[in-house]
Amino acid sequence: MDRVEYNLLRGENKARRRGLRLAGFVFGLLGIATLFFPYTLFKFDQYRVSMNAWQLLTVNIRFGPDFLLSMPIGLRIAIVAAVVLSLAGVVFLLLRKHALSSGMFFGALAAGFVELIFISQTAKDAAHAGFSTTSGDMLWGWTFFLLFSILAAVFALAGTGLEKSAEMIFKLSATISIAMVAIITLYMFIYGSPAIIQIGLFKFLFGTEWQPTATTPQFGILYMILASLIGCVGAIAIGVPIGLLTAVFLSEIAPQWVRAIVRPSVELLAGIPSVIYGFWGMKVLVPFIREFFTKLGYDTTGSGLLAVILILSIMILPTIVSVAETSLKSVPPSYTEASLALGNTKISTIFSVQIPAARSGILAGVILGVGRAIGETMAVIMVAGNIVQLPTLFGSVRPMTAGIAFEMGYAEAGLHRQALFGIGLVLFLFIMLVNITFTAISRRGVQMDAK
Amino acid sequence: MRSKHSRRKKKDILLGTLIWLSAIVTVLVLVGILGYILINGLPHMTLSFLTSTYSAAKGGDKGILPMIINTLYIIILSLLFSTPIGIGSAIYLTQYARQGRLVKAIRFATEVLSGIPSVLFGLFGYAVFVVLFQLKLSILSGSLTMMICILPTIIRTTEESLLAVPNTYKEGALALGAGKLRVTMGIVLPCAMSGVLTGIILAMGRIVGETAALLFTVGVSGNSMPKGNNIFEALFGHVLEQGNTLALHLYNSAMNGKDPVSVPFATAAALLILIFVLNRLAGYLSKRLKK
Repeated sequence: MDRVEYNLLRGENKARRRGLRLAGFVFGLLGIATLFFPYTLFKFDQYRVSMNAWQLLTVNIRFGPDFLLSMPIGLRIAIVAAVVLSLAGVVFLLLRKHALSSGMFFGALAAGFVELIFISQTAKDAAHAGFSTTSGDMLWGWTFFLLFSILAAVFALAGTGLEKSAEMIFKLSATISIAMVAIITLYMFIYGSPAIIQIGLFKFLFGTEWQPTATTPQFGILYMILASLIGCVGAIAIGVPIGLLTAVFLSEIAPQWVRAIVRPSVELLAGIPSVIYGFWGMKVLVPFIREFFTKLGYDTTGSGLLAVILILSIMILPTIVSVAETSLKSVPPSYTEASLALGNTKISTIFSVQIPAARSGILAGVILGVGRAIGETMAVIMVAGNIVQLPTLFGSVRPMTAGIAFEMGYAEAGLHRQALFGIGLVLFLFIMLVNITFTAISRRGVQMDAK
Repeated sequence: MRSKHSRRKKKDILLGTLIWLSAIVTVLVLVGILGYILINGLPHMTLSFLTSTYSAAKGGDKGILPMIINTLYIIILSLLFSTPIGIGSAIYLTQYARQGRLVKAIRFATEVLSGIPSVLFGLFGYAVFVVLFQLKLSILSGSLTMMICILPTIIRTTEESLLAVPNTYKEGALALGAGKLRVTMGIVLPCAMSGVLTGIILAMGRIVGETAALLFTVGVSGNSMPKGNNIFEALFGHVLEQGNTLALHLYNSAMNGKDPVSVPFATAAALLILIFVLNRLAGYLSKRLKK
């Protein structure tokens, strides 16, 4: 706030801050009070038990004659954390530490969400005890706890003054992306690992039988992993040379008017939704492969690994072109000039000087393309044929992404659906590996440029 | 000497041809895809196709009005969630943060988020919004999932455009005695507005074309229109119903084979035209930003 204004308003400000502090204080206490009101409702078949937070913390409940529901330790920790954080928020308000107090109330809010996770997990676990329907719903006590925590946090924050609270809000929104990544990672493990543990890591990764709906279900995803990897490698093998040469064309060779056509085309290619690529592949590419290779004497329906590779190599083109073009452009002109001065032709300068100098950037583009190709779902599912078998060039395949998307529609809750989340976890780990490699390489590239 | 020279010349010609060929292949692929879909789709994209409802039954209405409405719902909702967070993050990163561990972590997180494939966002959205928060298969679940997908795009474009605002503007305002918040909201952000809009339009393009993340979060109810006793209930109650977007509809009608083949073609053409318009709009805005 402006200095002059600040001096004029100081008296008024003091009163306002006191008011805000009082409001935050009241809402903080109200939040703690809600813990005594109906908080959770467990419905196990005919049994219904509603509990408040203190009961959740201290007692285990008996459902029927022979089932004792014990609360997980995580839930208890979360409840204690919610109480302690709210109390700390109130105390910090009394000590006039507004920012700290607001942080405590936000922490209490987060603890409330953690409670939700544990409650629903607890109810789900109880399903193993022979109940046919189990659910754990949060009641209005919990809703009001969240509401009061938010209000207390906002009032405490407002007490820090406009500038400070604005900064806090910006900071908070910036940390949301970190929180998202953390939560996604956590959830991929929470939902993905049970199936892998139950099936056995080795059997899951290297099993070759995938029969989720058989009477003795088999969950081996080796062929899916292979299909994903081979599809990706094939796409790179076709897409990278074409993309790299197109990038060379755009940055070095093309006359101005041709560039004005090619560059927007590449941009547009990047914007086309993957489902349209898939549809085009289904209507044009698959029949073409079928006709062409049947004439050559192969037995193929057209949909399969080859179609996947071709469609993926088209889809990674824009990524490769734009990254390679950027890194080719950042090659210092002195390199090029030196090479030309030594009597090299333009073409041989490109291939012996400029591309080697830009190689770390090009490699980063290739890795980005790998990530795209492994994670692509819709286009792949529409041309892959979706049969789980050993990948052959003309045979039908089912890559991991297609497996997830294809079966989530009909997989029943239980091991089948959990196994799909297990595939998700494997895919997630692949992607994280690709991401981290990409970050490392592009950082090294920047350092090399700096030298 | 002479033979070496001519061999080199041959090599140059060969490589030069390959370069031209690659560029031509790239353009031809684009022209092939666009041409095929538009030629087959545009004749069926009549006014009645765009404005009538859909029924899965044979011989029923095969329009895409519900899908257009649901796509709009998801665009508006996810932008509503994502834009404030994205702009807030970008402001923090460019105006407030000092280089440090937090900034590094935020940058890494946005990079990771933009690299995660949409099918995993779909799984996550299903586990968290559909099951855990008990929002069921609904437009709201889908929008919340899309919010995470588009966050990196909005953060990155906004950040770039905020960095492009000349420092002298800021310094001038600060010298006149304005506070940091007023400088940010009154000077820097308005100057960067066209960049922010570019980010929003790019995000819209992503939402319009997204399928895998929505496949198990919004459901596939074919004919889902806002309805209710009063306009309020119709408008807001629809958020908790299942929906079907244009891209999802294209996938379903192409894969199930029950609809006449003109339906997926016309839907694809509509989708392409929408994407093309958004693409041009973003191009125009970012060109204006560069000026």
